[in-house]
Amino acid sequence: MDNPFLAVAPPEPDPFIAGTPRREPLTFTGRGREYFGIWIVNLVLSVVTLGIYSAWAKVRRLQYFHRNTSLAGSAFDYHGDPRAILKGRIIGLVLLLAYNLSFDVSLWLGIVTLLLLAIVMPRLLMRSLRFRARNTSWRGLRFGFDGGLREAYSVFLLWPVLSVFTAYLLAPIWHQRLKTYQFRHARFGATRFAIQLRESSFYKIYGVALLVGMAAFLLALVATVGVVAAAGTLGEGRATPLMLGLAVVGLMWLLLALLVWPYVSARLQNLVWNNLTLGPHRFQSAVRVRTLYLITFTNLLATVFTLGLFMPFATIRLLRYRIESVTLLAGGPLDDFLAAPGQDVAATGEETADLFDVDIAL
Amino acid sequence: MSTSRSEAIPALYFDGRSARPHAAQLWLEGDVLRLEAADLSRSDPVMSLRVSEPMGRAPRLVSFPDGAHAEIRAHEQFARLLQQSGHVDRATVRFAFDARWVLASVGLLLLLVWAGGRWGLPWAAERVAPLVPRLAVEAMSTQALALIDERLLEPSTLDADVTARLAETLAARTDVPHRLYFRSGGPVGANAFALPDGALIVTDELVALAPDDEAVIAVLMHELGHVELRHGLRMMLQGSAVALIMTGYFGDVSNLLATAPTYIIQSGYSRDMEREADDYARRKLLAQGRSPAVLADMLERLASAHRDGGDGPSGWLSSHPDVAERVAALRERSAPR
Repeated sequence: MDNPFLAVAPPEPDPFIAGTPRREPLTFTGRGREYFGIWIVNLVLSVVTLGIYSAWAKVRRLQYFHRNTSLAGSAFDYHGDPRAILKGRIIGLVLLLAYNLSFDVSLWLGIVTLLLLAIVMPRLLMRSLRFRARNTSWRGLRFGFDGGLREAYSVFLLWPVLSVFTAYLLAPIWHQRLKTYQFRHARFGATRFAIQLRESSFYKIYGVALLVGMAAFLLALVATVGVVAAAGTLGEGRATPLMLGLAVVGLMWLLLALLVWPYVSARLQNLVWNNLTLGPHRFQSAVRVRTLYLITFTNLLATVFTLGLFMPFATIRLLRYRIESVTLLAGGPLDDFLAAPGQDVAATGEETADLFDVDIAL
Repeated sequence: MSTSRSEAIPALYFDGRSARPHAAQLWLEGDVLRLEAADLSRSDPVMSLRVSEPMGRAPRLVSFPDGAHAEIRAHEQFARLLQQSGHVDRATVRFAFDARWVLASVGLLLLLVWAGGRWGLPWAAERVAPLVPRLAVEAMSTQALALIDERLLEPSTLDADVTARLAETLAARTDVPHRLYFRSGGPVGANAFALPDGALIVTDELVALAPDDEAVIAVLMHELGHVELRHGLRMMLQGSAVALIMTGYFGDVSNLLATAPTYIIQSGYSRDMEREADDYARRKLLAQGRSPAVLADMLERLASAHRDGGDGPSGWLSSHPDVAERVAALRERSAPR
């Protein structure tokens, strides 16, 4: 038999030696050139349809990413219904507009809108976590998310409010609660994920990020003032404080994106995956901060110099690195996973996007 | 069997209930897809199956009606099998992997963005502007005025007599609802703005530059043209639309909408809008028995004041690149026909 899979994935009758997990790295076969085609066709169709196609575009994009990601010789898949995503986008747009405009009209309308948002948002976000999980599969088994509403209100309402009122001193705890909520209630088929995250790990990451961020701000300030002083225009009233402020803010965003984001996202990914378990299996994530800095920096440069056309290539580069940094440490045969009872594909069906199916990007 | 039988293709089969892979072979027999593995076999009518789009090196997935699926990585063989079954990929899929279509898409996109910005947006803004509720227009204008006062302008030092006289004159000469504000210009020098709700802001410097009240009124007639023709609102709608599109394109930078009021100051009007406002002022001045040449003179004075002042074109003149042309147009048609 000339089955290429026999070389990739032996049907696993292999003797498992206790205590020595088998390493199964995630592999990513997406290519910038291919994704560019998908991206540009998606973009054109989205523009022509005034954004309506963007929901279908998102499904194709995620399908491309999922199906090009393999574990132990089998690809992931994405099954989201574009109509649910479109609904999510319309809801999101309406909420954004309501939030931005209501306070302009009157204070009371603003407060009512804010209250409404506070009630609705946690439920929507919980729903979209569920949607995202349920529509992801590997080897024909769906992932799932069973997080409850009470915890959703705690994670998406109570903790954000608490961290705002403590000048973001509690923000790392909020993030810890959020990640715990997201993964502790996740499952693959009938097998539950488990996660142990310590608050102190988040404080460590955000502490360093804060230092880097302050350095970025100082750098932006010094650079702007330096440039203005060098041009000798500060004294003549040409550069208004408004312009100066805008320059500092713009440069700061750039430096934050370049200096803070790679650090935080590398550390966070490692933290979450290294503390995650799925039944007898563990994960290992080895994203290196300096590699992520390099990728981010070169991606930004190339994107700017190609007026955005490099963006799909940049996406693929970043995704490949982040995905291929993750390894599954299999503590048993991977064939043993079972579908959740009553949750097999035929029963839930892709066509049964119910009224409350929404997907709001987190 | 009499029906044609295709070559067998290797696949991984999953039953949808467990993660156990079954190394399988599949082939076509007429209108039926046959699949065989060590401990199972099935045959399904081709019509009942779904085939995933080709996506580069990603496996093709054949989904069975009962939730099982087969993962196929032998792309060339599978393409031959699909051809035999009469399956045709959707157009969007063929486009995405054909270099000519991709290039054409890039071209089309650039064309669309350009045409949309040039005609589509202004057209849509003009249609939408009358529909914006009065309440929202007033709220935005109030916010914009507060912002201008906070960041840009100082309180006026003009005599109360002068400002009262000008306000009275203007009120007598137009029935467009408006409110007149005087401010010290600071960085923007001799200048005048109109906000969408009819608030007109004149700087002390402009009043000083004008030889008489009539010159100030002429400038204000131009500004009232912007109000009456809803230029400010249209520019703001366009700005918000661009911001919204950019947000969608580049990711979630929320609060961009909150910056909308600043568009009124930061981005000027289009050339067409300036010409329309000039034309509005010319017609009104003529109807009142005044000469539009006064506005032409004022335009020249403003242009030279900003040139001599060395603070570059800003505000009133930022999008007035062809002052000479506008002056000529105003003078040429300064006599009633």
